[in-house]
Amino acid sequence: MTPWPYLDVHQSRTHEPTPYEYKLAATLEEVFTKEGHELADVIRGLNARQVHAPNGTPWTEDTFRAEMHRLGA
Amino acid sequence: MTLTHPTTGHTATADHIYATGLRNQWHPVVPSHFVAPGGMRKVTALGEDWLLFRRGDSTLHMLADRCPHRGARLSLGKHLGDRVACWYHGVEVEGDGTVSSVPGLPGCNLEGKKLVTSLPVREIGGAILAYFGDEQHPEPCELTLPEPLTDPGTEAILCYAEWNVPWRFGMENLLDPMHGQFLHHESHTMFDGDTTAKFRIRETDRGYFFEKTDQRGVNFDWVELCRTGVDWVDLSIPYPPSAGPGGPFGIVGMICPVDAHRSGVFFWRYRNVEGWQRDTWRFLYRTLIEKRHWEVLEQDRVMLEAMPHDADQAENLYQHDLGVVRLRRLYRAAAEQQAAALASPEPAAATAPAGV
Repeated sequence: MTPWPYLDVHQSRTHEPTPYEYKLAATLEEVFTKEGHELADVIRGLNARQVHAPNGTPWTEDTFRAEMHRLGA
Repeated sequence: MTLTHPTTGHTATADHIYATGLRNQWHPVVPSHFVAPGGMRKVTALGEDWLLFRRGDSTLHMLADRCPHRGARLSLGKHLGDRVACWYHGVEVEGDGTVSSVPGLPGCNLEGKKLVTSLPVREIGGAILAYFGDEQHPEPCELTLPEPLTDPGTEAILCYAEWNVPWRFGMENLLDPMHGQFLHHESHTMFDGDTTAKFRIRETDRGYFFEKTDQRGVNFDWVELCRTGVDWVDLSIPYPPSAGPGGPFGIVGMICPVDAHRSGVFFWRYRNVEGWQRDTWRFLYRTLIEKRHWEVLEQDRVMLEAMPHDADQAENLYQHDLGVVRLRRLYRAAAEQQAAALASPEPAAATAPAGV
């Protein structure tokens, strides 16, 4: 029998987010709220909060684009 | 598919059609990922049991879940790549419903006959749609897909859920935007806006808008019913600044009438985003937003599942319910028309789906 009902909170995930991903997401929400929606705002906001790229370096537009593509593709 | 009962010969009544979903149009069935390549899945839709099976090359077939020999469940059978074999006596049925082999009696006159109903299927936005015609309309009607699911500049993410709710209650809920102001008041997107409003109906060539006359872009302020071969609604809900660029998120909603008391609900959350904005929205959606949206959807489920089955039989409606009244009249009239056409010996010409 096919189980009923299907009620799955998370249907778009491929894995449980890591602590790094949770922190990055929460900080992005704060940056979008307080700094703005332009890419430059986001880079400045993340770096000012010292929420850095996985290798520990400050974000650049290129590294941020690449990381979002990896995490959001 | 037939609406004439196979043993009693009784033709479906308008009540039955109204309860289990309108025929002669497309409906969503289940998400595509429910049927993996080489996999089978039993589903119920429009009050009948079906078997979905997918070939290794991803081609999908949908058959009535009934062996043409003795009526056993084909869904209990075996996937043979391009056909299924009934477990009971091994009768093999192809994707188009043709019996290809009767192993117990080779040459049996069942072989080569198309004895199992097979429905046309399409897949869009991660969901399976099927055409449910009655015996006078077996060929699929034209299907125009919702633009947010086909536009390359729009990113849509499907959320699917199964509710113990009649399909029409689910549709009525969508044509009742004002519930957002109360039921969802504590949610992260629908906290703003007036608790009083006036609504109007605005006709379109594919359905109608039900919208507030004095507020737009603040809350769940409008909804469009679209009848484009499949019934769907479109609506828009503002995101808070925390969700980043891209403006409001929209919802394309469809409902599968599973049977008289159950529904599959399909909500695509969409946003006009591309590039890094798209990627960032998807990342935030997966990590944080999807759960918040789910909590809102659960409020609807809890409210609707607790409604009495005869809730729509003793109501006192007011101006905000115009959209619901219109929807109900439309569906009821279509059900009456479809039942009358099936009961009459007249040709099918006069039985086109009811207008809006």
